[in-house]
Amino acid sequence: MILASSPHFSSPVTSRRLMANVLIALAPVTLFGIYLYGFPALLTIVVSVAAALASDAGFRLLIGQKPRIDDLSAVVTGLLLALVLPPSTPLWMTALGAIFAIVVAKEFFGGLGANVFNPALIGRAFLIMSFPAAITTWHKPVGFSAPLTDAVTTATPLNIIKLGGTMTDVGKSFIASGVATSTDYNSVLQTLFIGTRAGCIGESSILLILLGGLFLLVTKTMDWRAPISMIVTAFIASWALGMDPVFGTLAGGLIFGAVFMATDYVTAPLTARGKLIFGFGAGLITVLIRKWGGYPEGTSYGILIMNAATPFLNRLIQKKYGYVAPKKGAA
Amino acid sequence: MAIKTFKGGIHPPERKAATTGKVIERIAEPKQVVIPINQHFGAPNKALVQVGDTVKKGQKIADGAAPGPMTVPVHASIAGVVKKIEPRTQSNNLDGPCAIIEANGTDERDFMPPLDAFSCTKEEALTRIREAGLVGMGGAGFPVHVKLNPPPNKPIDIVIANGAECEPYLTIDEATMIEFPHLVVEGLAIVMKIVGVSRGVIGLENNKVRALGALEKAIAEHNHGMDISVQLLKTKYPQGGEKMLITAITGKEVPSGGLPMDVGVVVQNVGTLKAIAEAFIEGKPLIERGFTVTGGACKTPKDIIAPIGTVLAEIPDSEVNIDETRVVKTIFGGPMMGVAVPHMNIPIQKNTSGIVLMTAEEYGRDTDEEGPCIRCGRCIRACACRLSPVIMNNALNAGELEQAAKIGLLDCIECGACTYVCPAHIQLVQRFRVGKQLLRNKRASQPKANA
Repeated sequence: MILASSPHFSSPVTSRRLMANVLIALAPVTLFGIYLYGFPALLTIVVSVAAALASDAGFRLLIGQKPRIDDLSAVVTGLLLALVLPPSTPLWMTALGAIFAIVVAKEFFGGLGANVFNPALIGRAFLIMSFPAAITTWHKPVGFSAPLTDAVTTATPLNIIKLGGTMTDVGKSFIASGVATSTDYNSVLQTLFIGTRAGCIGESSILLILLGGLFLLVTKTMDWRAPISMIVTAFIASWALGMDPVFGTLAGGLIFGAVFMATDYVTAPLTARGKLIFGFGAGLITVLIRKWGGYPEGTSYGILIMNAATPFLNRLIQKKYGYVAPKKGAA
Repeated sequence: MAIKTFKGGIHPPERKAATTGKVIERIAEPKQVVIPINQHFGAPNKALVQVGDTVKKGQKIADGAAPGPMTVPVHASIAGVVKKIEPRTQSNNLDGPCAIIEANGTDERDFMPPLDAFSCTKEEALTRIREAGLVGMGGAGFPVHVKLNPPPNKPIDIVIANGAECEPYLTIDEATMIEFPHLVVEGLAIVMKIVGVSRGVIGLENNKVRALGALEKAIAEHNHGMDISVQLLKTKYPQGGEKMLITAITGKEVPSGGLPMDVGVVVQNVGTLKAIAEAFIEGKPLIERGFTVTGGACKTPKDIIAPIGTVLAEIPDSEVNIDETRVVKTIFGGPMMGVAVPHMNIPIQKNTSGIVLMTAEEYGRDTDEEGPCIRCGRCIRACACRLSPVIMNNALNAGELEQAAKIGLLDCIECGACTYVCPAHIQLVQRFRVGKQLLRNKRASQPKANA
C-alpha cells in the first residue's frame, strides 16, 4: 500500500497535457501558415521542431540527465520559433536558431522552468542579429503554387508603413500578391484579420490566433491578463502616438506574441498583478520600437525585455487571507 | 437562496455517488475494540482503568494526566473486560497507548443522566460537554468545551454548523443531516445557548440540497425561539475549511494567526452537533460515530455507525466487504486531507469521518516523480488563503524559513489544493507541513529578541 501524505489523488492535468493544449491551439495557425506559404513554411516547421527535440535530448544526455522530450516542451519551443520566422528562412539558420533556443536560452539556465527568457523569442532574436537580411526577407502568400525563388518576396504591411507608406500602399501590395482586389481601408483590415499577407509563418491570421487563444482560455491553459493587457496597452499607445491603432493591432506579430508568448508560463509572471504589468510593459515597448526603433516590429523585444522584469514582478504577491498590517512602531 | 462561497479553491471529482442516498447502517457490536487513550488535540490523557477491569458501555476509561482545559476524557464504547493497555497504530500513523476491551456479551451502560441545556447553567453545560468526551468530529479533534468557552473579550455573535463536507467521497455529514436533522438542529441550539448568541447558520454545499427540506423542517420544530437558518454554499474544495466557511457566510476573514472567535464565530461540524445533542438528551458520551466507508476497492460502499475503537480489519465482510487485492491506498478521512495508513488494523476514532479504499485507477497517477515547476501559477489560483505556494516552496527549497513565513507559510491551512492541481506533481503542501514544523522548532529554540 502507498503511504504518501495527503492529498491522495491529483488533477489529471499534467505539464505534458498543458503543452499538448498549446500545440492544439497552435494547430490552426500552423496549418494556415503551410497553406499560405507552401513548402518553405512546411520545411521550416519540420526542421525547427526536429532541431529543438534533438538538441533538447542531446544536451541532456551530454550533461548526464534524463532526456525530457516526452514533456513536449521542446516541441512547443521548436514550433513557436518556426511560427515567428519568415517562411523562406534558410533551413540551416532555422536549425541553428532552434538549437540556440533550446541549449542557450533554456538548458544553460537549468532546463524547463528555470529559463529567464522565452526560448523561441531568443532563438528569433539571435537569428535577426546574426542574419538580418535573411530574417527580413518576406515570402509572398502564394501557397504551394510558386517555386522557391527570390522572385516571390515582398514587404510586410508594417515594413511598408515603417518606410513611410500609407494604408493604400499596403492595399496595393495585397493586390500585387493577388490576395485582395481593393485598396479600400476596410478591405485592407479585413485581409489583415483573415491573414492572407506576407509575414512570419504563424503571425498573420488574427482570426486563427484568436481561435487558438480561445481554446487556451476555455481549457484554462492560459490566463487572460497578460495578453489582454498587452493588446489594450499597444492599442492605446499606438493611438496616443499618432499611429493607426487598428492597423497596428492587426498587422505584425502583436496578437501572436500576446496570445502565445506573453502567456509562456516559465518566463511570464506568476501573479495576477504581475501579469497585468507584464502585458502593459510588453505592449508599450512594442509600440515604442515600432514608432522610434530601427525595426518595423517590436513585439518580440517587448516581451523579452519584460521577461527580464518577471522575477521582480513575482514579488507582487496578493495580500494573504486574513492579512493584518504590521503595527506601526513594532520591531 | 443566494449561494455563497470564497475566492480560489478547486473542483476535484466528487465521487460521492456510491454512498449518496443510502441509509446509514449501524454495524453489529464488535467482539473487541481498540480505544486510543488520546483522541483530542491538546495535553495527554492517562488511563483510568487497569488490565482485568470490567467496564460498562459509556464508562470513562481515560482522562487528563494533569489538570488543565486542553484534555478530553475517553469512554468505553462496549461493555466488557480490559484485556490489554498497549501501544497500537492509530489513524494518524503514530503508535499510541490504546485500551483493548473484549466484549462480555452484556449491554451494561454507564451513561450520564439527561440534562436540559436550556435550564442548566453555562458551567454545567460545559462540564457535560467535556465529560461526554466531545471533540470536533470533522477531523481536527479539538476539545469542544474549549471552543465553546471563549474569553470574555471575544464576544461571539454567530454559530455556524459545518455541513459543507467538501472532501470528495465522504457523505456521512449529508446523511446525518438527512436522517438526524432534529439532533443537528438541537445540538446547534444548545451550542447557541451556551455561547449566548441568537443567530445560527447551517452551511452546506449545494450538492447536498437534498438535506435542505429535512433541515428546514427540523429548524421549524427545534429552534427554541432562536434565529436558525440554512445557507447553501458553492460546491468547491475547501469550502468546509473553517476559515473559508466563515468568509463565505459572514464575509469576514479570520485574522492571520487568529481564531474564528476573533471575528465572533464558533464553528462546529454537524456530526459533532448531533453528538452534543445526544450528550444532553440521552446523557450518552461520545462512544460511537457515523462515517463513510467507500472507494473503488470497497464492494459495499455505505455510511455506517460503529463504536469508537472498532478495528477496520475486524468488521465482518457481511457488513463491509473490501477487495484487498485492489487497494493501493487506505485513507482514514477524505482523500484531500486524510491519512494513508499502512494496514487495516486501525481503530475508528472520534475524528474518523470516513475510510476511503482507493484503487490504482482512482489514484490515477502513473508516476509520483516530481517534474520541474513550469511556473504555471495554478497553485496560486487554487489557494483559498491567497498564498503563493510556488514562491513559498522556492523559499523553503532555498532554506529560507523566515522568508517563507513572511509570505504566509503559517497561514497555510494544509488543504492540499495546491498539490492537487500541480501539473508537475510537486509536493507543495507536504513541504509546507515540514516547513511549518521546522519553523516552530527553530523559533522555539531561539530566545525572543524583544520579549
